Amino acid sequence: MPLWWPLLVASLLFAIGVYGVLSRRNAVLVLMGVELMLNAVNINFVAFDAQLRDVLHAGQTFALFTIVIAAAEVGLALAIVLLVFRTHGHIEVDELRELADRDDPAELPAPQAASEGVA
Amino acid sequence: MSWVLLAALVVPFVTAAVTLFTGHRSDVAAKGISVGGSALGLVLAWVVALAHLGDAPPLAHVFTSTRTVGPPIELAVYVGPLGAAMLILATTVAFLVQVYSLGYLADDPRYPSYAALVSIFTGAMSVVVSADDLWLLLVGWELMGACSYFLIAHHWELEDARAGAVKAFLITRTADLGLLFAIFVLGDRFGTYRLSTILRVITEVAVPRDGLWLPALLLAVAVIGKSAQVPFHTWLPDAMPGPTPISALIHAATMVAAGVFLVARTYPLFLSSPSTLTFLALVAAVTMFLAAVYAMVTHDLKRVLAWSTVSQLAYMFGGLAAGAWSAAVLHLLAHGAFKALLFLAAGSVVHAIGGATSMDVMGGLRDKVPDTFVTMTIGFAALAGVVPLVGFFSKDAIIHAAWEEARHGRLVWPWVAWLLVVSMVATAALTVAYSLRAWLLVFFGDGPEVVHDSPATMRVPLVVLAVPTALGGLAVTVPGIIGGAPGEHLVHWSTSVLMTLLVVVTATLVLVLYRRRGRAMWGPVVVPHPPIDWVWDRFLVRPVRWLAVLVRAGDRDVIDAYADGAAASARGIGGLLRRTQTGSVQGYLMVVVVGATAIAVAAGLLA
Repeated sequence: MPLWWPLLVASLLFAIGVYGVLSRRNAVLVLMGVELMLNAVNINFVAFDAQLRDVLHAGQTFALFTIVIAAAEVGLALAIVLLVFRTHGHIEVDELRELADRDDPAELPAPQAASEGVA
Repeated sequence: MSWVLLAALVVPFVTAAVTLFTGHRSDVAAKGISVGGSALGLVLAWVVALAHLGDAPPLAHVFTSTRTVGPPIELAVYVGPLGAAMLILATTVAFLVQVYSLGYLADDPRYPSYAALVSIFTGAMSVVVSADDLWLLLVGWELMGACSYFLIAHHWELEDARAGAVKAFLITRTADLGLLFAIFVLGDRFGTYRLSTILRVITEVAVPRDGLWLPALLLAVAVIGKSAQVPFHTWLPDAMPGPTPISALIHAATMVAAGVFLVARTYPLFLSSPSTLTFLALVAAVTMFLAAVYAMVTHDLKRVLAWSTVSQLAYMFGGLAAGAWSAAVLHLLAHGAFKALLFLAAGSVVHAIGGATSMDVMGGLRDKVPDTFVTMTIGFAALAGVVPLVGFFSKDAIIHAAWEEARHGRLVWPWVAWLLVVSMVATAALTVAYSLRAWLLVFFGDGPEVVHDSPATMRVPLVVLAVPTALGGLAVTVPGIIGGAPGEHLVHWSTSVLMTLLVVVTATLVLVLYRRRGRAMWGPVVVPHPPIDWVWDRFLVRPVRWLAVLVRAGDRDVIDAYADGAAASARGIGGLLRRTQTGSVQGYLMVVVVGATAIAVAAGLLA
């Protein structure tokens, strides 16, 4: 199997992931974009590992590391998404502008009641 | 012996420090320490001074010396007969003032700082009279100016006291520039700052006539300022709101006496420059008469004494300008004694009637404060030059010397010497008149009923000072005691008889006026403000103020503009940058992706 096949798949996946992260408004879909990018990297690791015939299989090891870290990251990120939904009532990423630099901090939109989302 | 002198110089400063740091804990401790330290300094100074009066070899010692780029600056002392006499005068008067202040400032909350400053003042004067290095002398000289500033402003709640203190400091400080530059010139010319060496060179090597006019003139300016002569004369009367013992200290033994002392100390330098002597004679002639006229008409007892000090100092300068070194120095010492006596007695009078200094509210005090009356009478008589008292001999000697100078003088303009003689004789008559007037106004006629006599601590110094005032005239029989030329006669029968006649005639006139017209002897005269103040204000104070305004404007509009501009530009750039912080996470990520891609592409293209 030539090397460029998996590389093509990986770059397509990465591009889809970047597009998802940059353009989706829903926070869960943004996270899915991040996952796609991570998995594109994993494909690269495995492909080069096979191509270079590494004795220690460092590529596969790193892929496993990435999977574990991605799992942890998703757990943390979904918890944040859940909290955002509780406080704001939505998970639209482009609406979350509280950390913008403002002249007057009083312009900050008041967070909504926590009971509204999760009853 | 030199170490004793060093101890005598250090003791007042140590006393001052101890008084300052322990004085607030205990009133008794402050008084004990300041009087005790003053007594210790007195004893040490007497031990040193008595050994070097008269023909004894002078004490000259260099403790240590500092290498500089120019001539070395040395901790050098020199006590000749003149310095010894001045040491005795300064420490004695200072000790008496300390004792007197026990009574005068008994309940003053600021006593510790006052006593400490008096100690520093005494130490500074001792440094001046025993210094051999010009820089050491300058240190003492300036220290006195600073101390006088603080002491005149002792009652700083009063507007007058603050203004007088600032005026005294600024005027003397301005004139002191003359001493500073004289030191530069002398050090440059002679390659040393040691005064005894400089004077020996001037005496032994024939200096061309007026070859040293510049340092002599600069020194003259400094002493004119310190001794309150025209045109720097107005600070001394305005310094009167200070406590009366301070006036005694400043007028008799330290501050203003330092000016005369400096001329006497550097006399060969002045002798080598007849033009400076002429200048000094002119200043003295104008000052003595002007000040005596002011003393005639002022209604404030302390201001009468202040103007009389200015007038008497002018006598000393006139005597020095006329070549009568011994007579002038004798008058300096005599004046130190009787002016200290007069001021302390005036303080006693003021204390007795509850604080007022105007002679309008005094009168009839002769049997209410008897000790003060007797001693102050002796003081006034000495000031007026009544026959056996000390002021008589010294003043006559000066007048006689001026007369000799006028007849075969060395001054550049001979008419100045004649002016000096005329001014001296006229001033002698005026002195009698104003002394008698003050004496009559204070002690005779009707006056306040509520009078409490002064405590013993105030009366004893008066008696102590009355003794040399009464008997000090005997010193003229031995002029050598202060280092005068051997065989010099200070008593001249013709002058003495004439001056005594003058005293009698003037006194009779004043008494007749008093009998006829009562207390308003020569009518109420409105005392004009000395016009010289206007000149100083126009030509010195205001230009300096304008300069200050200009400097402030330059600071605010030029220098600050750069600092403010830097801050404003930083803030502006920051304002631009904060536009990018929108809060949109995806926007940030977009920038990251675009940037990373751009860097990758650029790296690929460049590689």
